[in-house]
Amino acid sequence: MVREFKLPDVGEGVSEGEIVRWLVDEGDAVTEDQPVAEVETDKAVVEVPAPVDGTVREILADEGEMVPVGNVIITFDVEGEPVEEETEGEAARAASGEPEAEAEPAGDKGAETAVAADEETATPEGRVFAAPSARRLARELGVDIGAVDGSGPSGRVTEHDVRAAAEGGSEPAAATEASGADAGGSAAGSKGAEGAQSGDGAAGGAGATAEASGAAAGGRQVESADRDRTLAAPATRRIAEEEGVDLNAVPATEERDGEPFVTPEAVREYAQAQQEAQAADTEALAKRAEPAEREEREPYRGIRKTIGDAMERSKFTAPHITHHDQVVVTDLVETRGRLKEKAEDRGIKLTYMPLIMKAVTAALKEFPVVNASLDEENEEIVKKNYYNVGVATATDAGLMVPVVDDVDEKGLLQIASEMNELVQKARDRSIAREEMQGGTFTVTNIGGIGGEYATPIINHPEVAILALGAIKQRPVVEDGEVVARHTLPLSLSADHRIVDGADAARFTNRVKEYLKNPELLLLE
Amino acid sequence: MVVGDIATGTDVLVIGAGPGGYVAAIRAGQLDLDVTLVEKDAYGGTCLNYGCIPSKAMITAADVAHEAGNAEEMGIHADPAVDLSAMVDWKDGVVDQLTGGVEKLNKANGVNLIEGRAEFADENSVRVAHGGEGQGSETIEFEHAIIATGSTPIEIPGFSFDDEPVLDSRQALALDELPERMVVVGAGYIGMELSTVFAKLGTEVTVVEMLDSALPGYESDLARPVKKRAEELGIDFHFGQTATGWEETDDGIRVSTEAVEEEAAAEADGGATAEFDADKVMVAVGRRPVTDTLNLEAAGVETNDDGFIETDDRARTNKSHVYAVGDVAGEPMLAHKGSKEGQVAAEVIAGEPAALDYQAVPAAVFTDPEIATVGLTEEEAEEEGFDPAVGEFPFRASGRALTTGDSEGFVRVVADEGSGFLLGAQIVGPEASELIAELGLAIEMGATLEDVAATIHTHPTLAEAVMEACENALGHAIHTLNR
Repeated sequence: MVREFKLPDVGEGVSEGEIVRWLVDEGDAVTEDQPVAEVETDKAVVEVPAPVDGTVREILADEGEMVPVGNVIITFDVEGEPVEEETEGEAARAASGEPEAEAEPAGDKGAETAVAADEETATPEGRVFAAPSARRLARELGVDIGAVDGSGPSGRVTEHDVRAAAEGGSEPAAATEASGADAGGSAAGSKGAEGAQSGDGAAGGAGATAEASGAAAGGRQVESADRDRTLAAPATRRIAEEEGVDLNAVPATEERDGEPFVTPEAVREYAQAQQEAQAADTEALAKRAEPAEREEREPYRGIRKTIGDAMERSKFTAPHITHHDQVVVTDLVETRGRLKEKAEDRGIKLTYMPLIMKAVTAALKEFPVVNASLDEENEEIVKKNYYNVGVATATDAGLMVPVVDDVDEKGLLQIASEMNELVQKARDRSIAREEMQGGTFTVTNIGGIGGEYATPIINHPEVAILALGAIKQRPVVEDGEVVARHTLPLSLSADHRIVDGADAARFTNRVKEYLKNPELLLLE
Repeated sequence: MVVGDIATGTDVLVIGAGPGGYVAAIRAGQLDLDVTLVEKDAYGGTCLNYGCIPSKAMITAADVAHEAGNAEEMGIHADPAVDLSAMVDWKDGVVDQLTGGVEKLNKANGVNLIEGRAEFADENSVRVAHGGEGQGSETIEFEHAIIATGSTPIEIPGFSFDDEPVLDSRQALALDELPERMVVVGAGYIGMELSTVFAKLGTEVTVVEMLDSALPGYESDLARPVKKRAEELGIDFHFGQTATGWEETDDGIRVSTEAVEEEAAAEADGGATAEFDADKVMVAVGRRPVTDTLNLEAAGVETNDDGFIETDDRARTNKSHVYAVGDVAGEPMLAHKGSKEGQVAAEVIAGEPAALDYQAVPAAVFTDPEIATVGLTEEEAEEEGFDPAVGEFPFRASGRALTTGDSEGFVRVVADEGSGFLLGAQIVGPEASELIAELGLAIEMGATLEDVAATIHTHPTLAEAVMEACENALGHAIHTLNR
């Protein structure tokens, strides 16, 4: 029979691993526990042992490929073994080098109960034991519940497991969203925009209340005249009585014999003004009584909380420095203007972003410390010789960062086309988690809505993120004269643990150079 | 669109106000969507008006009459007189109260109610023909549509529901006079439920079934007690027979049948054809989805070979803005399945992360005794690759069952041997329809045999049987011998 081997969950919070090296070829005979591959995760390089004696049937992942946990990476032919599904439990044991559990003596119920957790291996695939609330949470957080290891009784998947999978197990994705969130805080975040709107709404409401009480207090000159003695005709007094108005309070428009004299019109006007003021008062009070008008509460959970947690982790794990600069991009604007039409002829929309990604990648090659991550556990700085650039994207569901892989190996049009496709997928929520993972550096465009500079939060465990302001004409001093030039504000946040201020400034200078002279990119 | 007529717009158009449609409409209303619900007949659909509710009302009434007249063992001597017309009035009162409630709830949730028959004009609009001549019609444009048109009884050749002595289940539940003799065609759950009702009320019932057993969809050990009890009530079964026609006679009608397999029939019933005298014949051979009146082609919505609209786990059809829920969306045709689908469809439209990812759908047959099932049978569990552990507890060992005078049947649980996760349960016996709920919850929660067994159950109740069945599967039941 064929035994499939899935990439096991080799450690807490690891959702994928890179196949560093295959130690066997297809057709090779293997013995149980013989290492067949080296797999690198965020945490470490581990050897993956064969779970059985047999021969290698098929190798399903290339060296250098990032493989999500749970994907089948190799299959073995095993002779004479009864048909049985490989399971994650076995795979995990195999990976951790633990011996297979010994068969329990038959008929001993107590012993069976004790090893119940191991016996989940008997559970057929495709069925996940989890409460409906955990299933719903998994959908909310975009977690494939089938890929979550359960920590509950007999391996039941709990809400806690789902959260852990969303936060830890798919750290890159969560962090990705977080940096998107950060970008959106300043950038084209639709959520941010919504937030602003609801803020306005609340302010508007408060304003209305203030107005209403203003009317109540002083609106139509309804202060009481408060005299001791007022002259009026008997008919006027009757009107005052009917309207419930104190005559001494009605502003007098005339005098008779040196005493204030009140007309029927004045009484009616005063009565009406008072009624209006009362109504306004009541309204204002009523408005105050509705707490929803002044503040609204909504649950902090789901994607919003995932974003928040990842931002918090990034901000408090990596001491941020932010380096600000501005570059004159006259040539870039012209170049893009020319290329845009050519790209359109080929059906591709060319924005500035692919050019900037190219420039950033060129600079990253010169400053490997910016294209790195910090392996805190092993106290190693991991410098990456691949350049996967994330692009923060505002979506209705929150902020996401699709990643364009291997930017250094791709042409502008390919980058543009891949990026456009990924961004669209992120917006309509059809994007796969894997398409938001594996980034080495992130770019976020804050110019869409407004603002110049920002302090973007790093897409942890990356070590730097670049925020772009809007490209527009700004005053620039050239040869002692102020002239209007297209400029681009840049804000680079970096993890100060491994990126020094000088590194950040030098890296930014290189990016600037490429953006100022885009033809330099031709050399790349 | 008709010239001069103005289309109204709505976020969500729901077609059909049965348990799938009205639940979808109310949920969508709760989620602040603008909802329009179109119903051609009566709020509550088949379930409330002609199916679940009226049949259960009549079953209860028939049980009261039957039990009162058969309680000599308990020292009670009574000879109940049944006024069928009054019983039907009472049943109608129950139905009215419920359908009125559905209408009020819809209104309270801001649902626009329209009476009429909807038919798609294109992918984003329907025409609604109002009931009755000259009532006119209107066009409604929608962003999303939920089709919840339900199902209708299948007619068989030679038996038209328009003919007075031929009844579908709906007409059978509306009779104002008890037939003396009735032939029931079909021994599925509707046939068996109503046969039992009429037999208990005093009608002489003959059941004709094409297959070779009663309740053919259920395991034989579940169906057996039901058939046995039915026979005790005097119901006469003829299996392997199809009804071919009927004719009027001097004192009623005569229903003729034909053996499906001649030889077998010759042995069993003494002939390839047979005739049964009766006053009425009720045909209950199944139901088919109602899709023929919708002009689905205009919306581009496809149906499968059986006429059902296929949907995904979000209740979406092949057109992503059109949803289908309930009977029209496929088996099992159960009101509670339709309601859940309606709820999910509304939530999906509102952007909630809802999905139809339930592990098990319970089903109940309100026969005597009742049958209820949820999840996998032992055989199905094996087919899915589980090593099933099975536990049973007979009601005759239940103190509470004995005190009700009804101790036929058993509770059976099916679990995964290694992990103990519950996978399914089958119950035949008193209150099976109620008892199954605990096991449905257990399956959804991913509970193990141990979880249920270790939960204290009230004594003396029938529910203790659920606990004991789980203990039996674990090998330590107290009140029955362990397997």
